[in-house]
Amino acid sequence: MKDVVISRLGELVEGLAKKDEQKKAWEDFLVEFAEVCGKSDLKEKLKAPISNLLDRISEKELSDGIELLHEKLDNFPTVDVYKAIIEALGKKNDEYLVKIAELRDVLSELSTPIIHLWQDVLLAPVIGTLDSQRAQNMAEKLLENIADTRAKVVIVDVTGVSMIDTIVGEFLIEMFSAVKLLGSDVILTGIKPEIAHTLVKLGIDFNMVIIKRDLESALKYTIGKFSKGTEKKQSNTKRGDIDEN
Amino acid sequence: MDDKNFNDIDININDYDIVLKIKDENDIAVSRQMAKSFAQKNNFSLADVTKIATAVSELSRNIYRYAKEGYIYIKKKETEPDKDVSIEIIAYDRGPGIENVEQAVAGGYTTSERSLGLGLSGIRRLIDSFYIKSEVGKGTVVMAEKRRRRF
Ligand SMILES: Nc1ncnc2c1ncn2[C@@H]1O[C@H](COP(=O)(O)OP(=O)(O)O)[C@@H](O)[C@H]1O
Ligand SMILES: [Mg+2]
Repeated sequence: MKDVVISRLGELVEGLAKKDEQKKAWEDFLVEFAEVCGKSDLKEKLKAPISNLLDRISEKELSDGIELLHEKLDNFPTVDVYKAIIEALGKKNDEYLVKIAELRDVLSELSTPIIHLWQDVLLAPVIGTLDSQRAQNMAEKLLENIADTRAKVVIVDVTGVSMIDTIVGEFLIEMFSAVKLLGSDVILTGIKPEIAHTLVKLGIDFNMVIIKRDLESALKYTIGKFSKGTEKKQSNTKRGDIDEN
Repeated sequence: MDDKNFNDIDININDYDIVLKIKDENDIAVSRQMAKSFAQKNNFSLADVTKIATAVSELSRNIYRYAKEGYIYIKKKETEPDKDVSIEIIAYDRGPGIENVEQAVAGGYTTSERSLGLGLSGIRRLIDSFYIKSEVGKGTVVMAEKRRRRF
């Protein structure tokens, strides 16, 4: 078998692929195959050549190629080759699953920062998808921060959230109620038009909080509110020009 | 393989562009993301993409919450090539079923703690046609369809 493969290498490769890249992949495989064929425990020894091949050609090209070798070569160990292919694919699949699991962990580590904007104001930008674990972490962190800093206003910005379904809506409503119980005001900013649409259809409203279009309006509002409080003591001239948006 | 016949609904897996098994919480985000990409690819407006993704998110969560596991099927439907396009979503499970379907669909009814019970009623308003079939002890099938608006 070894000698047959090597002597017919050129012819076989021509039949197996059209493009140079694939031809080279098959050539490398056939050379490695010739090396191990006839040896015991063939399937195990075929695994490495097969997975190298799979990195370079598609599954379809591989199965077409094996079919051709099966026809052209007497005693081609088709069964062992297929066993090796199935195991190589299984291993690849396992590797993907590990990767996916790791990516998930990376995502869930994305912590939700809480920014102390100034004395009495906290900013909580919400980013990405809120699964129950992340939502829980964020709420706890925010409430702790409020208790520590005695913030009077919390701006929750959802610009980075692409969708609010009922569970995220429920979570936000709960978090807002808890913040208010601590004696702080909530300003919600950054609801995108398409999300507003959806929220209306779902029947979720955030009427327990102050809503501002964006961070800028929220800041203006907050500054206005505070300066109103302090300036009143001195003079009353500044009233009325506060951006309510 | 499960028998995908559920009373009068006959689901042929091969007809669907997306078939997703829902069995852990991460699958909810995956299904939502896939629905979103699929709707975007088929040129639905941003508002409608968001509605479709939200509806799928609600359906997947219901499967995960109440039935533990089930399937989401999504396909594109068109009368003629690129004419009257719509996206059909089916949520299928063999969970406990819903005792009072009318109430569940009307909204404000929930069997879970700390929940608003706005999912099913919301889906109905988010999409264009809605069908639900549920039998206690057998399972639940929800079918939802959203048509593409012309600009
Ligand atoms: N797939 C399902 N299997 C069993 N029961 C369901 C299913 N989907 C919904 N339900 C029932 O219908 C109720 C309403 O569902 P929904 O409108 O999504 O609100 P929520 O999930 O917030 O309770 C649920 O509380 C549950 O009792
Ligand atoms: Mg629900």
